[in-house]
Amino acid sequence: MRRAVWMTLFLALLLSVPAFAMAEEHTVSPHIPLSENSPSSTELVELPDIFDGTTVVYRGEVIGEAMVRGNWAWLHLNDDAYMERNIEEGAPLGGLNSGMPVWVPAPEVAQIGVFGDYRHEGDIVEVRGVFNAACAEHGGDMDIHAVHLTVIRAGREVDDPVSNGKLWTAIVVILAAAGVYLLDRNLDRIREWLAR
Amino acid sequence: MILRPRRDDHAIVGKYLGKIIVGIGLLMVVPLVTSLVFAEWDTALDFVIGMGACFVFGFGLQVICRTEKDLKWSHGLVVASGSWIAATVLGAIPHWLSGHEGSYLDAMFDIMSGYTTTGLYLIQDLDHISYGLNMWRHVLTYVGGQGIVVIALTFLVKGTAGAYKLYVGEGKDERLLPNVIGTARAIWLVSLTWLAIGTMALAATGLMLGQEPVRALLHSLWVFMGAWSTGGFAPQSYNTMWFHSATYEIICTVIFIAGSFNFALHWAVWQGDRRELRRNIEILSFTATAFITVSVATFGLAHLGIYPDAVNLFRKAFYQVLSGHTTTGFSTIYSRAFVTQWGPVAMLATTVAMAIGASACSTGGGIKGIRIGVLTKAYIQDVRRMISPDSAVVQERYHHIRDIVLEDRIVLTAFTITLAYVTAYAVLTVLGVLFGYDFTAAAFEGVSAASNTGLSCGITAPDMPNLLKWAYIVAMWMGRLEFMSVLALFGHFYAILRGKS
Repeated sequence: MRRAVWMTLFLALLLSVPAFAMAEEHTVSPHIPLSENSPSSTELVELPDIFDGTTVVYRGEVIGEAMVRGNWAWLHLNDDAYMERNIEEGAPLGGLNSGMPVWVPAPEVAQIGVFGDYRHEGDIVEVRGVFNAACAEHGGDMDIHAVHLTVIRAGREVDDPVSNGKLWTAIVVILAAAGVYLLDRNLDRIREWLAR
Repeated sequence: MILRPRRDDHAIVGKYLGKIIVGIGLLMVVPLVTSLVFAEWDTALDFVIGMGACFVFGFGLQVICRTEKDLKWSHGLVVASGSWIAATVLGAIPHWLSGHEGSYLDAMFDIMSGYTTTGLYLIQDLDHISYGLNMWRHVLTYVGGQGIVVIALTFLVKGTAGAYKLYVGEGKDERLLPNVIGTARAIWLVSLTWLAIGTMALAATGLMLGQEPVRALLHSLWVFMGAWSTGGFAPQSYNTMWFHSATYEIICTVIFIAGSFNFALHWAVWQGDRRELRRNIEILSFTATAFITVSVATFGLAHLGIYPDAVNLFRKAFYQVLSGHTTTGFSTIYSRAFVTQWGPVAMLATTVAMAIGASACSTGGGIKGIRIGVLTKAYIQDVRRMISPDSAVVQERYHHIRDIVLEDRIVLTAFTITLAYVTAYAVLTVLGVLFGYDFTAAAFEGVSAASNTGLSCGITAPDMPNLLKWAYIVAMWMGRLEFMSVLALFGHFYAILRGKS
């Protein structure tokens, strides 16, 4: 266990070196508002009977990846509070994610340049398709079947800069942990020494 | 007469609590390395700070609480329940520092949900969180499934007689091997073997479904951890609907059903005793209640005519209800769809399945199959006694690893714990109704929290009342530890305040 603790402390201190180099000020791209979806994914989930089988125009940030299955592909489009800017870029907290799976022809996926994740704000795309409250083709999943998609806004890389405050806190906490660890290991010796 | 704990009692509790918290700190190495590999520097710092805080607290306690005395029963229970609280408070640091939580309470909610393998979450913008933080969510649910104390017993605590008291304090009482440390290691052997096989199966499926190799591998690992631990956390907000695949659902179902089985059962099968699978009372009980609840949910959904055909109807009902029954919490429908599509009959069937829950000494929660089996046998025994001649000796038996005679004390224990769960379910339901939620929804969410399931019908959200968040945190904690350890902790504090010197 002793070796594991020392290795961990060493690893943590090593980490501080590149983290120092990464420390910089937070920058955010200009905010360009996009029109809200009508219906939104929340409305589709709340009122599935009303929209079932209707053609909807739906817009959202492409998340994660495109999963190509033969001539078609799955996309997941989020139309939540983070579709234009995510928390790492300074967006305010806006609740849990919400979005809708979209089934599109595989060649359409080639238009997508960026998928949303920790390091990226994904492309915002618009699809026109049929909403299925319980899709017969896809195991009863709620989805939209679209035949075409349009990229409304290209995605981008997202920077998550290291804050200096966090860096110094890490160093102080690790040094304190090393100190307490050494004290724990040598307490009996220290007591003997003091007793003499 | 209640005695006030002495200095030695505090020292013993503090020493072992310290060891377990050091274990939590060491656990953070996994997400830290993940962050470093993917160059997520800010996330890596969150884990360095979290790890350092665990070490300061853990080693600090060991400095202050120096003793060579071994644990007594009361110590074991207090350490087990106390360690889950301390691990939650300290484990929440990386979540809070990530900026994705609305408050420290929300961060603690997510951590307690992870450790207790519940799966409810308040983390915001899950679809944009780092690989490191996602790894932490799933590692803590995987470790929580085996038990925080089990990991400490395996790696940090030397083989003392008191170790068994810690193990029992965490809601487990099966000895797979004569030595409790050996038992803890056997649990890990079983879990890691399943981890290797399950992850490979899911990764291969993910690749075939069109995932990129790195994402397929990470998702398979995390989904495995969520399934095996019956935790229900998934890497994306869409949960397992993300994959849109019957094959993925089947593999997940196999894993979470296996995860919901008693470790003693796993060990018996591991040792070659496959007959145990057919005879064990928990398997029989689970099969019966799963059949009933899936049938009722299927009937309710068929009546509403939501799904276009019988295959899709059964697929949805089977996956959701079994996920609830095993207290996993995976879903292939939206949370709100339970209310807007499923309706009260299917929701109540799922609620009952969640309330019954998984097997004892497993990764799951709920009342547990063995107690339902024992109580059913007790009713059968009473009925048989009523209709038998006075001179007849009626004695029921059941099989759980070995044949066991149904004694009154076994029935009483099963009844007491069942009553505790039912009370917790009722309290949370009433609380939810008092906050203005519909009865069916309040019962669904409350049972889901107290049975450590994690299916949600939309109540659990960052803007839910703080009091309800606290209530769910306490319910998840008490439900996972099966109440006794938590009551022992309350008793410990009462003794400090009011006990005789």
